[in-house]
Amino acid sequence: MQRARDFGMTSCHTCELLLRVPSHRHTHCPRCGAKVHVRKRNSIGATWAFLLAAMLMYLPANLLPVMTTVYLGSGQPDTIMSGVIYLFINGEWPLALIVFVASILIPLLKMIALTYLLISVQRRSSFQHRQRARLYRITELVGRWSMVDIFVVALLVALVQVGSIASVYPGAGARAFAAVVILTMLAVMSFDPRLIWDEKKETGDRNG
Amino acid sequence: MNDLEPVQRPERYLACRECDGLQRLPQLAPGQRARCPRCGARLARNPVGGLDRLFALNVTALLLLVLANAFPFMMMEMQGRLQSTTLIGASAALYQAGMGELAVAVLIATVVGPALIVVSMLYVLTGLRFGWRAPLLRTVLTWISHLVPWSMLDVFMLGVLVAFVKLEGMAEVVIGPALYAFLALILVSAASLSAFEPRLLWEKLAREKL
Repeated sequence: MQRARDFGMTSCHTCELLLRVPSHRHTHCPRCGAKVHVRKRNSIGATWAFLLAAMLMYLPANLLPVMTTVYLGSGQPDTIMSGVIYLFINGEWPLALIVFVASILIPLLKMIALTYLLISVQRRSSFQHRQRARLYRITELVGRWSMVDIFVVALLVALVQVGSIASVYPGAGARAFAAVVILTMLAVMSFDPRLIWDEKKETGDRNG
Repeated sequence: MNDLEPVQRPERYLACRECDGLQRLPQLAPGQRARCPRCGARLARNPVGGLDRLFALNVTALLLLVLANAFPFMMMEMQGRLQSTTLIGASAALYQAGMGELAVAVLIATVVGPALIVVSMLYVLTGLRFGWRAPLLRTVLTWISHLVPWSMLDVFMLGVLVAFVKLEGMAEVVIGPALYAFLALILVSAASLSAFEPRLLWEKLAREKL
């Protein structure tokens, strides 16, 4: 299949109008007014920047308490993982599994996936384009679900304010955790999936 | 394909936004969608019901949004004291606990994001449907797509479920009326997003010279 780029053209990322765009320059889309580049600008650099920042925040996000429950005067800090364990030992294992996947597994896998995609693109890999494209799509789709723990903290903080009996306070881990989710989402948005295909050697599949 | 045709008749072609594969714009019957044969990304769709359905869904979403925000959706009783929270209340609690930036993130994900999407959709659709040359029509239509990933009502719903289970152990938890509006809103929003194909709106906008 031929690329739009081979014709000196690009789809406007906002309205999808096919335009002639000189490579390494930009043009303004006549239909929607967006600035159009052949590829997202600084895609690899920006994605790395967001990704490395997310990796840095991943540690405090998991090590620091996301909230502290003060019950009858004694405080109990909770990390993401201890929250999962709490659900598990209380017999809520389906929910424990969901939170574990959403809060611990997804951010981790997302960062691994992005690292792999970035390195494979930078090494001009021509390995498994379709699978890598699918990996990107999944990464894009699941990322927001990691935010669930932040919402749980917000809800508990809002509801459990029973003066001296029981109160829940948000912890610094929540801040770091939200940063991980937002930074990985920004990393995914900065990555241009078309880069995966740019090195593909066309071997006689001009089947339009 | 003819090697010059895409350049001469660009309106008949489409480049996949995920792999840049150039292909003929597929002619889709209502309800059909096309995937890119090379990378598998969604290429185009032709939502059933067109703009009218999208408009109706967003009017419904607006009503549900008001209901979901106006009433508490979760109440808890502990030692005879009743505590309840609204959508905005969850963000406000974080703010009061000294986590301003976290409060802003939660507010965007649960209140501002969803509301902006619905209001912007209605604004753009009113312009398109009634041929009203609304100011900033292009800007508003552009930002809808950017807002979508940051609106997280569905994720928040999962959070409500987890919080419910965690609280059940220590107190009496009651679901408030807003939660039902909230559930309906999630379904209507999902339907609205799957009926939202920006390319068609841009085409109409250009056709009608708005």
